[in-house]
Amino acid sequence: MAYSDKVLDHYNNPRNVGSLDRTSSSVGTGMVGAPECGDVMKLQIQVNDATGIIEDAKFKTFGCGSAIASSSLATEWLKGRSVDEALMIKNTDIVNELSLPPVKIHCSVLAEDAIKAAISDYRKKQGSEVATPVAQTVA
Amino acid sequence: MTCWNCGAAEPARFCVSCKALQPPVPEYFAFFELAPQLALDEKDLQQRFYGLSRKLHPDLFSRKSPAENEHALEATAVLNDAYRTLRDPIARALYVLKLEGLDVGEQSTKDVPPELLEEVFELNMALEEARMGDADALAQLPGFRVRFEAMRAETDLAVAQVSTAWDATHAKQALTDLRGHLNRRKYITNLIDKTNVPDRV
Ligand code: FES
Repeated sequence: MAYSDKVLDHYNNPRNVGSLDRTSSSVGTGMVGAPECGDVMKLQIQVNDATGIIEDAKFKTFGCGSAIASSSLATEWLKGRSVDEALMIKNTDIVNELSLPPVKIHCSVLAEDAIKAAISDYRKKQGSEVATPVAQTVA
Repeated sequence: MTCWNCGAAEPARFCVSCKALQPPVPEYFAFFELAPQLALDEKDLQQRFYGLSRKLHPDLFSRKSPAENEHALEATAVLNDAYRTLRDPIARALYVLKLEGLDVGEQSTKDVPPELLEEVFELNMALEEARMGDADALAQLPGFRVRFEAMRAETDLAVAQVSTAWDATHAKQALTDLRGHLNRRKYITNLIDKTNVPDRV
């Protein structure tokens, strides 16, 4: 199957490969997998707690070229967006941008799920943080 | 259902009244006149396969009508697909899951337990490091392979156990467990494939 130029570009020069400090409360981690092909993807976001803007995003994907390209593109799109804006990224946007063929749509779904999982992890951390009375920690 | 040739009611594989071959049943177990089952007797299946291969041999239809020839071709195609699928325990399990509406291909990522993903991710990281490393690192690859193969053997055992359980009870839970084991197996198989020493330019 022929990959589009954009897929090849991301595949050969993946952007933002790596990892962020998983234990940090400003970092959300999404780990997702597609069982029918046995691929796995980790995507992380670093959020500025004050502004709610995603300042950094990293990924590591063990999978097909389309999954690598989808997650690489996703990290590019995530940087500079607010968390709410990030939630609006749909797998169809990725499909269109990378011209993925129908058999590769599930690879883009993986990327969308990874974004959602990272954000929900971040929000969970923030939520539990809010539960700690601020006054005590400051004093 | 009536016979396409003579209109007799309830035809079997061959019409009871005019003996014409009927279009094949598409469901694999039914095609072999078996009930859906996970732990089936593979010898018995093989016998059924040989028996049907003889009955459906194209030579037997050379002087029959084009319509019946067509059914013979269709039936042979189903026969081969059905045999290939049902004789292999993993392909058979995947097929049963599909029949029961738990198609592995239609799972969402949320159906995969996070621990499995974490484990697979870590193993992939370690494997990648070994593959990209120097000769010493590459020398670890066979060790990885042995370890992954042991993991796969464990999974196969679990598949066999839950297969017997489902045949006895037809409990939905057994199928969900089965799917979990097959997911894990797929991940492990991918890892095994990556343990070949990479060609260096
Ligand atoms: S084939 Fe598995 S994610 Fe693309």
